[in-house]
Amino acid sequence: MSLTLSRRSFLQAGFTTAAIGAAGVPLEALPAEAGGWNWERGVCRFCGTGCGIRIASKGGRVVAVKGDLQSPVNKGLLCAKGYACAQILYGQDRLQRPLLRKKDGHFDKQGDFEEVSWQEAFDVMKAEWTRAHSALGPTGVAVMGSGQYTIQEGYAAVKLVKAGWRSNNLDPNARHCMASAVTAFMQTFGIDEPSGCYDDIELTDTVVTWGANMAEMHPMLWARVVDERLRRPAYRIFNLTTYANATSEAADVEIVFKPNTDLAIWNYLAREVVKRGAVDKDFVARHCVFAAGPMDIGFGLREDSVKAYAAEKDTQARQKTVILTKQEAQARGLDPEARHEFAQTASGSAQKHWLISFEEFQKGLEPYTLDFVATLAKGDADESLDAFKAKLQQLADEYANPGRKQVSFWTMGFNQHTRGTWVNEQAYMLHLLTGKQARPGAGAFSLTGQPSACGTAREVGTFAHRLPADMAVDDPAHRKHAEEIWNLPPNTLNPKVGSHIVQMMRDLEDGKVRWLWVQVTNPFQSSANANHWIEAARKLDNFIVVSDVYPTLSSKVADLILPSAMIYEKWGGYGNAERRTQLWRQVVLPPGEARSDVWQMMEFAKRFTLAEVWGEQKVPGLEAEGYDKGKLPSVLAAVEAKGYKPETTLYEVLFATPAAKKFAWPDPVAFGKPNSTVTHAGIAWFPEKALFEEYRRFGLGHGHDLAPFDVYFKRDVSGLRWPVVDGKETPWRFNDQYDPYAKKGSGIDFYGTAMKKLPSGDLQGVKPGEATALPGKAKIFFRPWQEPPESPDATYNLWLCTGRVLEHWHSGTMTRRVPQLHAAVPEALLFMHPKDADKRGLQAGDLAWIESRRGKIQARVTLGGRNKVPRGLVYVPWFDEGVFINKITLDATCPISKETDFKKCAVRISKVG
Amino acid sequence: MRPTLLLALASTLLLAQSKPIPDRDLGLAKGSVFETPAPPRFLDEASGPGEKPLPKRINREYPPVIPHGIAEALPITRDSNLCMDCHAVAGPKKKGEATPIPNSHYVDLRRAPKAQAKTVAGTRYVCISCHVPRTDAQPLVANR
Repeated sequence: MSLTLSRRSFLQAGFTTAAIGAAGVPLEALPAEAGGWNWERGVCRFCGTGCGIRIASKGGRVVAVKGDLQSPVNKGLLCAKGYACAQILYGQDRLQRPLLRKKDGHFDKQGDFEEVSWQEAFDVMKAEWTRAHSALGPTGVAVMGSGQYTIQEGYAAVKLVKAGWRSNNLDPNARHCMASAVTAFMQTFGIDEPSGCYDDIELTDTVVTWGANMAEMHPMLWARVVDERLRRPAYRIFNLTTYANATSEAADVEIVFKPNTDLAIWNYLAREVVKRGAVDKDFVARHCVFAAGPMDIGFGLREDSVKAYAAEKDTQARQKTVILTKQEAQARGLDPEARHEFAQTASGSAQKHWLISFEEFQKGLEPYTLDFVATLAKGDADESLDAFKAKLQQLADEYANPGRKQVSFWTMGFNQHTRGTWVNEQAYMLHLLTGKQARPGAGAFSLTGQPSACGTAREVGTFAHRLPADMAVDDPAHRKHAEEIWNLPPNTLNPKVGSHIVQMMRDLEDGKVRWLWVQVTNPFQSSANANHWIEAARKLDNFIVVSDVYPTLSSKVADLILPSAMIYEKWGGYGNAERRTQLWRQVVLPPGEARSDVWQMMEFAKRFTLAEVWGEQKVPGLEAEGYDKGKLPSVLAAVEAKGYKPETTLYEVLFATPAAKKFAWPDPVAFGKPNSTVTHAGIAWFPEKALFEEYRRFGLGHGHDLAPFDVYFKRDVSGLRWPVVDGKETPWRFNDQYDPYAKKGSGIDFYGTAMKKLPSGDLQGVKPGEATALPGKAKIFFRPWQEPPESPDATYNLWLCTGRVLEHWHSGTMTRRVPQLHAAVPEALLFMHPKDADKRGLQAGDLAWIESRRGKIQARVTLGGRNKVPRGLVYVPWFDEGVFINKITLDATCPISKETDFKKCAVRISKVG
Repeated sequence: MRPTLLLALASTLLLAQSKPIPDRDLGLAKGSVFETPAPPRFLDEASGPGEKPLPKRINREYPPVIPHGIAEALPITRDSNLCMDCHAVAGPKKKGEATPIPNSHYVDLRRAPKAQAKTVAGTRYVCISCHVPRTDAQPLVANR
């Protein structure tokens, strides 16, 4: 692989990219401004756009923020949330001391919260950890992490849980957010994260949003789209959605489809591209192969929970057996009049896939004619079939036009989907077929919801199956590499994939997880089918710790609440959706006894000796080469060779290593800014820099290269898009003009290495024979449309879709404490079509019951506003803990990615009376 | 629960932190997680432009909150931006007229950051991305 740079100058196109080299501008702090405001650079706390921000502080307080003019992401602008990044620090009920449930001076699960010292908090937390670990081993403890973790926090969590506790029960809320994007990247390209970048917005001819209400959810990217649309008359915007939303308002074409039928629309588009001869044959022949996988993969539901409510059982039964609807039979090329019953035999092996021929691929597409798909997919009962057909044809005309470039954006509409991995793969299918991928202005581009879903959850690897830099715990070579970097004895790491975040909730309910630490997230509000989990948290024998900045719904069901430092009260870094890594300095001190999450993990690690955690451990179900069945070996005999003793603490092994201590504090990069982690720990080294520099070692040389820590603080650097090689960032991956990892002369080189050796078969299954190696290739998948696990019926007769609003993010815990954001959107409303409301005797402002098989809640009806839902569908945002919509939603997941589908389940609505 | 009561509760929590706090008193929705609260009703700001005094700026960088009702001004589409109909006037503000869109909004920060254009920058076209509307909801907790 050539690392020589082969980038075309952007200057002709009028763009500049950040370049840092020998002649880089020296480290420099920003000048103070008149009025005593000190400006520092940072990044926005909220969405995955990753807007650059400037933070003004005065007298130890953040007084205002503004958009960073230098940032290529947002060029000086922020949205209504971004500008509130100053105020989010100062809600009156900010947590400032640990709170423990107590009775008569002792921890008691039924007690009320009392303030305790950090010492007492950690004492009880450790005693409870030991109780769970002694009974159940490493799988009995778990950490729920976050796409809002800083890079360093995520990395510290991976080390503590995976290396220290030898557990893989670490999984982020990002599982709910973009796990489907990850699995589709891995299956399609063999490496995670987008090939494109935000510059595509200005370079493309057409933006197509699929299940992405960018106008509300990524306002500063949307500002760039609208700007282009207003400047260039030929620029086009298509909005594909299940209800009319704010994005429709600037769109040229709005396509409202029936929930779950997006897969059928993609197959119609692909069929058209093939039929019209619009396949880029050269691109496909040189860079792609065709693939398929099993079809009967279930819905990620529980099969035999003893805790299931009676009403839930019919939906859960579809996890085992599905009887095809007529349209499903038709889509599978079967007789629609006959009965077809399919056992969901591949529910445990949904990720398997194999090569197929182009002819097989074409055969898969054949049923998806315009007539079939339009009838199936039309989502607005008040739109005519002809009008809907015309729009689908317009979209096909657009994608099939070799003279125009498209960017397809998606977010939660695709990712939170029981066929999330498949529908992500279908976007690549079309862009690969037409040769419009990994090229400036052309590509399928997954956006993210959280500020470091990419930078931390994915790149650091805080998933139950991951290690840093796309490596996996079940790959012996990857474990070995991690054990070397972390200086661990061989076979310290656990080869069995841990519980994903949905499974952790189920484990809690089943008593399989009895100790849980929740960090930087609010999972008891954000997990679907929540009645089960709040019951498990409060009524079973377990211990739940929540580290947060404000009391959240999750903290209400916790046993111990730990007060955390917020974004500008600590050093940190985020990675946005275009692979841009951005680091920031601490600006102000955390209030009271609030502490950074890095400090919390380091301090807690002091309470573990190797003797406690590195002896033999039982791990139910563990089966791996070199390991005894069901257990991890003791590695204590090997610790002396590593320079440790059995009584050495995890703090010394994982964090205060000789290498880490070489990063001295104070450090010139700080320019006098504080580091509260250092102060509170009483140390003379720089944990956030040490963690980052060690983490960097995982990615260097294999396509995930980050720059050294200090480089991100240079005056002329506004974050850098990885891979950063020889000081240069990479705007478009896999493209030999821009990406030093793409073989020069290849044009396009899909160089990812995961899952790149496959057997062959047809649409029905794999055939015996040799596996084929696929270097440099991407896979074009055929994926069928299928019915979702639950659809409206006579009892639960409406679709429920949930989502976000512009003003509130991250379950509202920060934004709802900002007065003007709260006043703008004070509560979650139930968006209904006027005719559906009328039928139920409801008017705007009325209180309604929303009820599903899993629970019921109340909300106020709105009939207009930002979302104009079609008849048969209602929409409720999930930010409001007073309108606890996740008591209603279904915990079905994509069987491959394990990401929950929050976008569709069946409900009934009635008037509260 | 009424917002004023919530505020009082929040300050009680702050002052009396040594007293045990039941979980129902934590968070923004008071009460047990097992309860099913009836959400309060809030009303959108319905006053016409100029009818109410301008609210105090949050800080000098925060975009001013929209002081009047906007139901009739929405949606903002490519063809119609009723906000601009009134606010795209030359400054300084004259009595009885809308607050003029400031000069900063006429600069294309991506392509020509030093030039004043004749039209509002396209990136600033969707006013409500930054300027929030309001209802009669009072703060759930104070922001200090």
